[in-house]
Amino acid sequence: MSPAAVTVDRLEKTLGKNKVLRGISLEANAGEIFGLLGPNGAGKTTTLRVICTLLAPESGSVKVLGFDTLSAPEEVRRRVGVVTADIGVYPRLSARENITYFAQLSGVPDGELKQRVGAVIDRLGMESFANQRADSLSSGQKQKVAIGRAIVHDPEVLMFDEPTSNLDVLASREIREFMVESRGRGRCVIFSTHVLHDAERLCDRVTILHEGSVVATGSTAEVRGRHRDLEDAFLELVL
Amino acid sequence: MSSVLIVFKKELREVVRDRRTLIAIGLAALATPLIMTVISQLATKTATQTYTVGYSGEIPIGLDVLLQATGLKLERVADPATAARQQVDIGVVFQTAQVDEYYDPTRQSAQIADTRLQTVLGRYEAAKAEAALRERGVDPGVLHPLPIKAHPLSSPIKAAGNAFLSFFLPYILITMVLTGGLSAALDSSAGERERKTLESLLLTPAPRSRILIGKILAISTISLVAAIAAIGSMLLALTQIALPGAEGASSRITLTPLAAGVMVWLAILLAGTFSSLTLALGTLAKNFRQGQAYATPLYFITIFPASIILFIPDFNPNLVYYLIPILNAVLVLRDAIVHNTVAWPALGVTSASLVVAGVICWLAALRLFTREALLVRS
Repeated sequence: MSPAAVTVDRLEKTLGKNKVLRGISLEANAGEIFGLLGPNGAGKTTTLRVICTLLAPESGSVKVLGFDTLSAPEEVRRRVGVVTADIGVYPRLSARENITYFAQLSGVPDGELKQRVGAVIDRLGMESFANQRADSLSSGQKQKVAIGRAIVHDPEVLMFDEPTSNLDVLASREIREFMVESRGRGRCVIFSTHVLHDAERLCDRVTILHEGSVVATGSTAEVRGRHRDLEDAFLELVL
Repeated sequence: MSSVLIVFKKELREVVRDRRTLIAIGLAALATPLIMTVISQLATKTATQTYTVGYSGEIPIGLDVLLQATGLKLERVADPATAARQQVDIGVVFQTAQVDEYYDPTRQSAQIADTRLQTVLGRYEAAKAEAALRERGVDPGVLHPLPIKAHPLSSPIKAAGNAFLSFFLPYILITMVLTGGLSAALDSSAGERERKTLESLLLTPAPRSRILIGKILAISTISLVAAIAAIGSMLLALTQIALPGAEGASSRITLTPLAAGVMVWLAILLAGTFSSLTLALGTLAKNFRQGQAYATPLYFITIFPASIILFIPDFNPNLVYYLIPILNAVLVLRDAIVHNTVAWPALGVTSASLVVAGVICWLAALRLFTREALLVRS
């Protein structure tokens, strides 16, 4: 069996006076959608931020494709793409310019830039608004720009943090389809959500966090266990 | 392409598409010559304006001609003291051996009329005394046993022009370097947090120090463009308008190549320092508006040194004073404009001081930019 794409080992993190993560461990593999579940404040976003090097671990360790987040943060960031619920884009740049900017900063060579950005625009179906200024785009279109900038450097690990929370039904479905497609391409997809229905449909394996600790982990079927669905199992675990 | 250059180009592109910054630069470029023109018009008007003297009594022969030639219009009134309060600019009672003058020092027109009257009366008295001495066969030279012949080392009119420029140029330079790039600096720091692009930016493998340098270079460029646009338009305006000088002569103010060179060098150093400083303040802020609140005290802090030249024109401090950022730039620029010289030790200390201040501000901005709290607070 190949080593896990993302390994989190006994991770602890305090923000201000709050102990947000209390020794969590998990592993996410290539070619799977891994669900990071839990109520608001459980520590999902903090976990993702430590994995992508935005926050440093207080204790424990995090490795992405063998690179430690503390000793090789730039190598980690080269291999990770993150999509969050905050679909902030540069309003005075076009959709294409937004994606190009991130491609350049992610180290896409100048010679490949145009082709790589064009491929992302094709893949996400953005041709009709690619040259439009971002401040004139709809939420769904902005979310596509956010996805485009996260995947333009072709990362092996993709993380989605509550990606559908600000989107309508159609845009949400496109995100879900994109995650499934990425799994099919052999990417490791980490999906953080509190919408358990989405998780049940998409995830191969899940970890449930509650108050900074792991309360359940395993395949979706294992965690659901004897319960009717993941929501029931979740409620029994956290209440 | 280097990440510094990538960030620099992107920031400039955003600024070029940002109406706020463009309007600020455009207004500065238009406002400066407009202000110069208004000042020139007011100065000309003050110099040529006629003021009214309300008088009673008999005017000594010949004095009326002298007064009218100096722009003082005579108007007979019943009570000069009362008339001097509002009706006329000054009131005068001509008596046989004395002239009583009434004026309100709080009125500028009264002050100017008073100065003119004193000058005319002084000349009239001197002429009368000389005539009386001649009648008695005495050389009028006895009235001036030690005459002074002045030999000004430079043109007094030019000196007045330089004094004017030595205040306005540093003032406009500092103000425009600060305000020209302020909007871009806040947009590039607090704005990133406000529109939630910061996290994505920090997720790229580009080192944060290089991202920051790219931003600072872009903001410095905007600041320089704003300052040069404002000063360029001011100098252009000064070639077209004339400020009235003494004896009716008028002066046209020009900047020497040396002063222009010093100005550009100081503008570059100031732009680097201010860009780092405003970026650091913007990084502390959660949004654009909060950033503006943090930056507001900077206006007062930076404008104060420029005002020193206005209040103490001959302020000639020792080298230690040139360690104080902004004040040192004002002093060096003043010397370059007024004396057309550069004291190289002073320029060296000034440059070192501004570079050190810029580096400190850059390190502060970098420290703030790499704090975890930057993301957690947002």
